[in-house]
Amino acid sequence: MIVTWRIGLRIALIMIVAVVLQVSFFSYLTLFGTTPNIIPLVAVSLGLLGGAMTGAVCGFILGFVLDSVLLATLGVSSLMLLAVGYLAGRYREGTEIANTLIPPIMIGVLTMAAQAGFAAIQLMLGIDVQVSLLVLREIFVQGLLAFVLAIPFYPLIRRVLRPAIVDDVVAGRRMRGPISAGAPRQRRRLSRRRAPRMRRATGVS
Amino acid sequence: MYRKQVRRRRAVLVVLVVLALVLISATFSQSSGGPLHTVQQGMASVFSPLEEGATRALKPARDLVNWVSETFNARGENSDLKSDVQKLRARLAKAQSAVGENEQLRKLVGLDQKGVLAGYKPITARVIQRPQTVWYSTVGIDAGSKDGVAVNDPVINGDGLIGRVTDVTPLTAKVTLITDSESSVSATVLPNGPEGVAEPEAGDPSVMLLDFIDKNQPIHEGQMVVTAGWSNGTISSVYPRGIPIGEVRQTTIGQQETYQSIRLEPFADMRDLDIVQVATNGPERPGVPK
Repeated sequence: MIVTWRIGLRIALIMIVAVVLQVSFFSYLTLFGTTPNIIPLVAVSLGLLGGAMTGAVCGFILGFVLDSVLLATLGVSSLMLLAVGYLAGRYREGTEIANTLIPPIMIGVLTMAAQAGFAAIQLMLGIDVQVSLLVLREIFVQGLLAFVLAIPFYPLIRRVLRPAIVDDVVAGRRMRGPISAGAPRQRRRLSRRRAPRMRRATGVS
Repeated sequence: MYRKQVRRRRAVLVVLVVLALVLISATFSQSSGGPLHTVQQGMASVFSPLEEGATRALKPARDLVNWVSETFNARGENSDLKSDVQKLRARLAKAQSAVGENEQLRKLVGLDQKGVLAGYKPITARVIQRPQTVWYSTVGIDAGSKDGVAVNDPVINGDGLIGRVTDVTPLTAKVTLITDSESSVSATVLPNGPEGVAEPEAGDPSVMLLDFIDKNQPIHEGQMVVTAGWSNGTISSVYPRGIPIGEVRQTTIGQQETYQSIRLEPFADMRDLDIVQVATNGPERPGVPK
């Protein structure tokens, strides 16, 4: 992903909307006995689209904002979300995502990992009462819900960040085909504007 | 070039992890007026109008999704409720005769007829943040210090005890639920009154455990548990006496145990909190900081 200041703004907007939606909408829903959580979904999606660094930084910021808004222990969510964002990014950097089901599966699995890690940190920070096994069921169901929610949300985030995603820019160029001699002037100008970014992204000068 | 990039990436990652760990330890070590806490409160204040607006705007959509979900659950609940109605009918008959006796006794001893929050100024608030973790530990409400809400104020809803206020911003407050792992409430079992401590079973908001009840005390399923309002003159519970907590669901007496193992079902559903009441400006309780 090519992160310009405009793309940075879009990412910030995605994160703010995600936090507000989670706090004001998703946390009020009860599906299969638990509440869906889209925050790990967004961190993992940004990692899958932007790479390890983008995933880690965005995960950290998302966690910080969420903990601040909820007046919770600062750093706990940041630690877990930066971990899942980074892991998602590393996966994307090492493997080509050829199947459209891979992102939702990754999101489901990493959401489960984030929830389990979060619960483990809370346990370590001092839960000295009996713990219910219901926690494991909730973690599993939250993973499943994240998988389902990823089906509409991941493409949506991808669409918002489309101008920055190298694969999409290249694919867009290929689909458009070569510009013929009589093509309208505006189309040529658009291509010229995108050319430096394309050169940077592909390494072809 | 590639190695430089990898090194830089690792450095950023290490910095972020260290920063997160520093934040965790700093949050635990600093007092409630510390700089991090102030930053947190500032961010919460900035986001609270946005959250409140979004909460109201998205209510129809939320209700629609919950309606679909509840319709599925309602089928199973229907048969359970039918058997509950039969049990409750029998108990209602008993309760009605008890109410008559109670009124007569109250008149006799001249007790006041005020509710359990007598001496408090109740403030109604809406829940704007629900529990985000599997531990059901906190919720956020849309009333804050400007409304007179203070730390350690008890919070109830129509069903019973919810928790207490543990953090306040001018417009919002954080309520630590009785199902939080660090919560414990001095409680008494009605009507004969053995006292114990109600603690949560972490991760399951529909179960609480009542501890420190002697195994020789007769406790039966269906008995109501209320706050004890315990005080020894120097320290006391933050909750006044008589707020309903829950109902005894199961008692187990182990051969080697001194105390009974009692499972309660809280009256208030911590998964579905909407309107709550904060009991503010209450009487001074010894040892309870404000």
